[in-house]
Amino acid sequence: MPVISIDTFFACSLMVLLTLSAMAASSKLLYPYINNAVDVNSVERFREASKYMLLSKGSPADWGQRDSTILERFGLARAGSDAAYELDIDKVSRLNDENSYAVPYAQIFEALKMSDVSFRLEVKPLFEVSINLTSTFNAVNETIYQFEISTQRHGAQVPASLKCYAVTSNYFNVGFVGSASGQAYVNVTLPNNIGGPALLAVLAKANSNTNVVSFNAYGFAHNSAQPKQKGTFLKLGPLNYTLTASTKYPNINLSEAYALAFNYNSTLTKTTGNDTFSTYNIPRILDSSPTLLVVTGENSTAFFAEWTAYPQIPVEVGANFANPTTIALTNVFAYPYIITIGSAFYECTVWIGGPRG
Amino acid sequence: MRRENAGQIRVLEAFFAVLVVFSAFTVTTSFTVSPNNAKREDLASIGLQALLKLDSDGSLGNYVSGGNWSLLRDVLDEVLPIGVCFNLTVYDDQMQQVNNAIVANGGLNNQEIAFVEYACASRNPVFNCYTIHMWLAVAS
Repeated sequence: MPVISIDTFFACSLMVLLTLSAMAASSKLLYPYINNAVDVNSVERFREASKYMLLSKGSPADWGQRDSTILERFGLARAGSDAAYELDIDKVSRLNDENSYAVPYAQIFEALKMSDVSFRLEVKPLFEVSINLTSTFNAVNETIYQFEISTQRHGAQVPASLKCYAVTSNYFNVGFVGSASGQAYVNVTLPNNIGGPALLAVLAKANSNTNVVSFNAYGFAHNSAQPKQKGTFLKLGPLNYTLTASTKYPNINLSEAYALAFNYNSTLTKTTGNDTFSTYNIPRILDSSPTLLVVTGENSTAFFAEWTAYPQIPVEVGANFANPTTIALTNVFAYPYIITIGSAFYECTVWIGGPRG
Repeated sequence: MRRENAGQIRVLEAFFAVLVVFSAFTVTTSFTVSPNNAKREDLASIGLQALLKLDSDGSLGNYVSGGNWSLLRDVLDEVLPIGVCFNLTVYDDQMQQVNNAIVANGGLNNQEIAFVEYACASRNPVFNCYTIHMWLAVAS
């Protein structure tokens, strides 16, 4: 082989190596600045923004408790708490548009002070409780309703203990049942001399940890027509351990109000009220359980039982990233967190999206 | 060298050049910043949060000191996001493995595995320190 060929070969190889090394170095240096489907800087920035929402108390720090206050900076952490990801029960409740004192997304967006990002925030229990009426047995003096209650997390059964409350006109009853397999059958017996509709409220605590809790409620007919949709008669707004029940129609009379937790229940006393709203004090229950608030009453024709949870979850607030146009124009990232409200664990997911490069 | 062998040398040159180019590409890909680092950080963060939350009321120490490995597996399965696999090992202060049962919800056959190290203590009746090593991955 002539010497010149060997020289040419090594020279070419060296040039190729040098060129590719330069490309490698350039790509390493420039990668974060190149518009790409996944922008590393955006991922980092959005992650920090999502953490900020959950770790910051916002301004003023007690904006959750005071309905008249103007939200200056958004943050959901509980004021005075040293624990990370411990959220304020009222700040979370005010994200729910069912709450009488709900903060609109536009106001939250402004208070976040990040004009180039949109977000969606969801807080919900770590597992779901589903209630199904499976059968009804009519006797002379009473009617027995059999319910199938299952506790599941994305289809996987969660063994849990269940506390069941049956509420109807002038009737209140409590039952407890264990569900080792994540599925249980509960019988509710109601006297035939009382009218409905009735409400079955269920609170569940996972057997693996008593701070992992969930709940649900199911309205059913009993000597009555089928119950109306939740929120038909009243708007319930729990805030700062005070429940405000605002009527949606005239001629509604409220009768009883209950606070139901896993290990404790109480009848609420009306503190103020007129034709359009009533307020009740909510007891501060030292139980790692949400409190279900049930208000019963009658409109001109029938009995009703409205309910809500305190904290008022599940809640979903913010931009709709499911829209295909939005998805095409933005980089959206989801950040899951485990948060506590009171001492109960919940799941919080923050979706943050910014303009695509 | 005879003139008719010159073509063979050109083929060899081209072959080596291609080899060099592909080697350079292979090396280049390992240099670039991968977004998977961010995924690993997210996984580690959620794993650490889960352990912190369980430790906040002493539950984690109780599971470990009581040897309730199935309960520990169940509660981690409930608090970690769906689709996250974990494998956890508990060591005592001598770094001897404590858990005599597997605390995991599936195989970590994903290439992107995050690692979390956490120190916890049992509160009652004896104060013991434990080191927890948890590996996490997104289920494939």
